[in-house]
Amino acid sequence: MQLTIAGIEETLKAVRVEGYTTLDLRSVRDVDPFGLVLLDLLMRQQDEQGERLQILRPVHPPTIRWMQAMGLFTRPGLRAPDPGVAEALQPITPIEDEGAIMDLVDRFDARLDQRYTLDDSPRFTLIRFMIELFQNIPQHSNVTGSVADAHGIAAMHDFPDGIVLAIADKGIGMRESLSLRGETFESDADALDAIVHRGLSRFVDPGRGAELMRISKMIRSWDGTLAIRTGHALFYHDPTQGGDIYDVAPFPGVQIALVIPHRVFGICESASENGRAERVDEPGEAWFNGADE
Amino acid sequence: MEPMNREVFQVSRFGRRVGTRSEGEAARAKLLEVLQALPDDGQLVVDLEGVEVLAGSFADELISKSLGLLVSGVYGDRTMVVSSPSEELTEGLSDKLTQRNLAMLCLQRPTGRKWRIVGQLADPHIETLQLIFDRGETTAKALAEILGIPPNACHQRLKRLVELRLILQDRVGASAPKTLYQFRPIL
Repeated sequence: MQLTIAGIEETLKAVRVEGYTTLDLRSVRDVDPFGLVLLDLLMRQQDEQGERLQILRPVHPPTIRWMQAMGLFTRPGLRAPDPGVAEALQPITPIEDEGAIMDLVDRFDARLDQRYTLDDSPRFTLIRFMIELFQNIPQHSNVTGSVADAHGIAAMHDFPDGIVLAIADKGIGMRESLSLRGETFESDADALDAIVHRGLSRFVDPGRGAELMRISKMIRSWDGTLAIRTGHALFYHDPTQGGDIYDVAPFPGVQIALVIPHRVFGICESASENGRAERVDEPGEAWFNGADE
Repeated sequence: MEPMNREVFQVSRFGRRVGTRSEGEAARAKLLEVLQALPDDGQLVVDLEGVEVLAGSFADELISKSLGLLVSGVYGDRTMVVSSPSEELTEGLSDKLTQRNLAMLCLQRPTGRKWRIVGQLADPHIETLQLIFDRGETTAKALAEILGIPPNACHQRLKRLVELRLILQDRVGASAPKTLYQFRPIL
């Protein structure tokens, strides 16, 4: 079993479809921020439904240490995170108030900056992504007020194949959000398709929306991986498989993972070991001249 | 235009990295105060110098929506341009302007005259705009001749450029059965 973008579906299916009340994670070694935030939300969701999930934690010491450092097992009865564990790039962080978003974004960026010297251009693009994705939680996840606790969270970590950023909530999800603009979607997959491929938003205002569509295009241009999950639907794109929408086990809210290859940030394999990046020349820009210049 | 009619609005006052939609909305209130205080033919330069990150949501609230009001005619003949040290910084703004079917001039420096378009403007309109910048004051007839297009097509282009406040039109007299206008760049 893996608690990763590729493997978390198995866990969700076991609990949400097959009704398992115990999750045996003892053999788990592979965990990424997407798997981590979904496991966190899954435990909370089951608790709220009065179906507390029994977790048998990983026994592999680096895995459990990393999960704790990332802040997963912090609830009563479980061990608190160890802030001294250096491997955690950015532990699970709650996203609640829109007024605190910029501080959160700065905090995520600072953690990345401590580890690597990044090229400005992709670094600032990632900051733009974080601003848009983080603020989606207070703006969209529970706009109807119908969810007791949408519980927006984000986490980030770096792996040999890239930096993984996960943003998740267990709010109303995309289909219900889009229904607020008066459009009915047959399925979560249809709603997800409308958002990712057509840039739709719950607002009729033409200036709203399209951010996930732009992020998707940029991730593709970077040869990165993108996973967007809502309800019964998962959009998944990677450079090998391309992109498609899949039926998955139902889970409330929206969960997103971005995997950005190190080379995008100017971090090459040898450089990533010592935290030094190589600079890349920016392309030229085209300007028209005014009449007297 | 006289320099005294030009006001520079520094976006960096709101931070080097901006920002959320609600922060953009709050910033717009300040921008519109400055715009309102300008004389009727004044120009507001929204300067991005000192800004590292301009998120699309913030740009939409601060700049696109303000431009939308300007284009609607609420602020008379006032014009608005953006000044950005880099093209990349305005990507989010350009996307949002495109979504709203708007366009504006982007200068390399607040006092400079090198420009490009951010947002949505068709190539024939950009060609016409460039010609107006090259010639200074001109008429539709003169432009149509240079561009080699029918007068009606030229009028349509000019109408769009005037609507977007990318050029200004001045009534220069009446020659039955039409009113004559001259067109001039906003820089």
